[in-house]
Amino acid sequence: MTPGIAAAGAYAPRSRLTGDAIADAWGQFKAGGIEETAVPGPDEDVLTMGYEAARNALDAAAVSGADVGWVGFATTNPPVEEEALLPRFGEMLAVPETAETTMFTGSLTAGVRALRAAARAVDSTGPALVVASDAPRGALDEALEQGAGAGAAAFVVTADGAATLDAFASVAEPAAGTRFRERGSDRSAGLGITPFDRQAFESTVTRALGSLDYDEAAVDAAAVQATDGRQPYRVTGALPVSGEDLKAHATVHTLGDTGAASVPLSIAMALSDDVSGIVGVAAGSGATAEAVAIDVTETVPTGVSLDGEVDLDYASYLRQRGEVTGGAPQGGGGYVSLPAWHRSLAQRYRLEAGRCPACDRLNMPPRGACSHCNALAEYEPVELSRTGSVEASSIISQGGAPPEFAELQGRSGEYATGIVAFDGPDGGSASLPALFVEVDPEDVAVGDEVEMTIRRIYTQEGVTRYGFKVRPSA
Amino acid sequence: MRDAYLIGAGQSDFGAFPDESYRSLFRTAFEETTASVPKGISRDDIDEAYIGMVSIGGRQIGLPGPAVTEHVGLDGVPCVRLENACAASGYSVRQAIQAVRSGMADVALAGGTEVMNDLGRDRARYWLGVSGEMEWERMAGTTFSGVFAQIASAHMAEYGTTSEQLSHVAVKSHEHGAKNPHAHLGYECSLEDAESAPTIAAPLGLYHCCPMSDGAAAVLVASEDVVDEYTDDPIRVAGAGAASGGIGLFERDSYTSIPATRDAAAAAYDEAGISADDLDFAEVHDCFSIAEIVAYEDLGFCDPGEGGAFAESGETRLGGDLPVNTSGGLKSKGHPIGATGASQMVEVFEQLSGHAGDRQVADATVGLAHNIGGSGGAATVHILEREGSA
Repeated sequence: MTPGIAAAGAYAPRSRLTGDAIADAWGQFKAGGIEETAVPGPDEDVLTMGYEAARNALDAAAVSGADVGWVGFATTNPPVEEEALLPRFGEMLAVPETAETTMFTGSLTAGVRALRAAARAVDSTGPALVVASDAPRGALDEALEQGAGAGAAAFVVTADGAATLDAFASVAEPAAGTRFRERGSDRSAGLGITPFDRQAFESTVTRALGSLDYDEAAVDAAAVQATDGRQPYRVTGALPVSGEDLKAHATVHTLGDTGAASVPLSIAMALSDDVSGIVGVAAGSGATAEAVAIDVTETVPTGVSLDGEVDLDYASYLRQRGEVTGGAPQGGGGYVSLPAWHRSLAQRYRLEAGRCPACDRLNMPPRGACSHCNALAEYEPVELSRTGSVEASSIISQGGAPPEFAELQGRSGEYATGIVAFDGPDGGSASLPALFVEVDPEDVAVGDEVEMTIRRIYTQEGVTRYGFKVRPSA
Repeated sequence: MRDAYLIGAGQSDFGAFPDESYRSLFRTAFEETTASVPKGISRDDIDEAYIGMVSIGGRQIGLPGPAVTEHVGLDGVPCVRLENACAASGYSVRQAIQAVRSGMADVALAGGTEVMNDLGRDRARYWLGVSGEMEWERMAGTTFSGVFAQIASAHMAEYGTTSEQLSHVAVKSHEHGAKNPHAHLGYECSLEDAESAPTIAAPLGLYHCCPMSDGAAAVLVASEDVVDEYTDDPIRVAGAGAASGGIGLFERDSYTSIPATRDAAAAAYDEAGISADDLDFAEVHDCFSIAEIVAYEDLGFCDPGEGGAFAESGETRLGGDLPVNTSGGLKSKGHPIGATGASQMVEVFEQLSGHAGDRQVADATVGLAHNIGGSGGAATVHILEREGSA
């Protein structure tokens, strides 16, 4: 049996920056072939975007996190340079602690490498979850930043997935990378030796495709690494599809350069378009390339949400990126110790409430005496619905946020907070305070329907606290 | 159980005082308090002291009580600091009453002091925001004003309460505060001023929020056995109620009512043997205008949902049926967190002694003071009456 993709999910931040806005600000726009780029929210990073994509994929597959036995997470921009990040990611999705987890990083090929590793592992581990999430950055006046986008794709890979992972091929040349990020920097950079860059890309990609064992006649879609909007079309000669077919599933034109998620995002797009065969090829800075051939035997369920909603002006973009805002203020802030935070992860990541055995009511957080009948009893864990309704709200005006949220507010502007009642699985509900994202705070009203997502709360002691926030229901 | 009486009360000016410390402000309040005792009092007569304080921005979390009593020459007197957020000195008064009623003390000092205006903006915001449910409300980016704004949003959605009704509370409080020489914001404001002010935490505007003040206040509580040594016009503690509740708004069944206030009020009314109808005036906790409207309802001044209309009716203004916050309230007089509950007692004492000047409620014989901490995690309600006249 050939392992295959059983479901795919994708996510992109809702803010967009157009090439025109950059051209207005800089006098020119250097990232050719890109119309607009997706800009992460001030509380988004590759982990939170990866959560969104993984949620979409798991929901599409009707697989629960508890069934997952292997997790591969690919990015060139992990939020920290050294940390076991995946246990936290797994906890967000209720993946068992015994699942095998692997980070793939250091190269734009990480996404395809993760897919390959999943295909190898899945027989012995049960359903595998592959997540490719990236948000590259560069110097403001350079093509790399001007074309830098953000997005994530995720796949549920099973031993009998409908889109079979037929073949993989890789090539490595002992060459210097044409794109790299120095240790300690959050900005990638390129060589900028145009002919050399192009030749390195074309050569590795063509050779990887050449050694890929697949049936060209069965392929009607291609996913090719795209650091700008022209690059993928330089290798159409080596592909079994036309430039037009390539463009049909390319995300670079509307999301920008999505780094290690670039090829996985195009694969997810192609799967959502019900194609019969896909060839994908990721390029690792001219030194490596990884190719994959996918045979789609039947329709693969997908959850792809890549639409933009808000066009940023350039100043708002700089603010949202944190380029023109101060850091956290002096003077301390609200402090919740890490052990205390740790004890509440099931609530903050998965809305795990407690049912009182005495009165059957839901308690959130599930601790202490029942807030309804005062019984001092052990709660039965209950996962609340991820959707809820607004019971109370307020807008925290600009400059009025608690100190530990000052940086977020500097980047996001005023925001809404409120109390949201989440439904229990068997009736009842429990309420929690929540911060609203992806909505004009003025538009939040009591009675609104919202859904939870995971975002960064803030960073203290070098540790980012992730937790749920809410946004209008899709 | 012995009866307890208020024999003296006093406070410092409320405001921003770069030249004063939490000790010097308390000294002013202490001297005003002892000076207000009709027949005078010696410091040697004071048996116990209770000081309410949220700890002046974290500078003196340990032993701030003795730091204050030592400063006013009360060395040797047992003293403890009480902390229940903005209800700190409401509880210190309760503690003094308990000491006197129980027989452990014949005269007890209760008060509070706070200095917040010498803190940087961020540090002050931190200290103002530590009284909610830190692990949940605060982590949702909510401020203290944000929590009360949430209460306002729920009250508006449930009962149709309007921003203008909130503003009526502010206009009334400023009208009263303009007559109080101790007030932090002792000026009048118009409905238009209040309605057009900048937004702080929607739906609350600037005039719907109290200021951050420095100040101190104190009262002296004496037992029935000794009260005659100090006054011929005793003011009796007719009812003392207190209660606590969930410190997070989201943990309560209703966001438009504060259960701790209801419980404390029920206990106080019961002990005093009266109802809200018997009150001549009240000092209620109005850190935000919506808090005053909710207090009207929880204290039984009007039915649930009618608080907005009650504010609009004019009945709570001086000259109305039930003047509320004749001192100007937290809104106009000011809100030095730890001193607030005690300063409410100062107003009640002055009204019942007939010393409230331009703010005097005619024939004031029964008054109520209501103090809450945070968004209602703790509450005290005290009912006082001029002896022999109630």
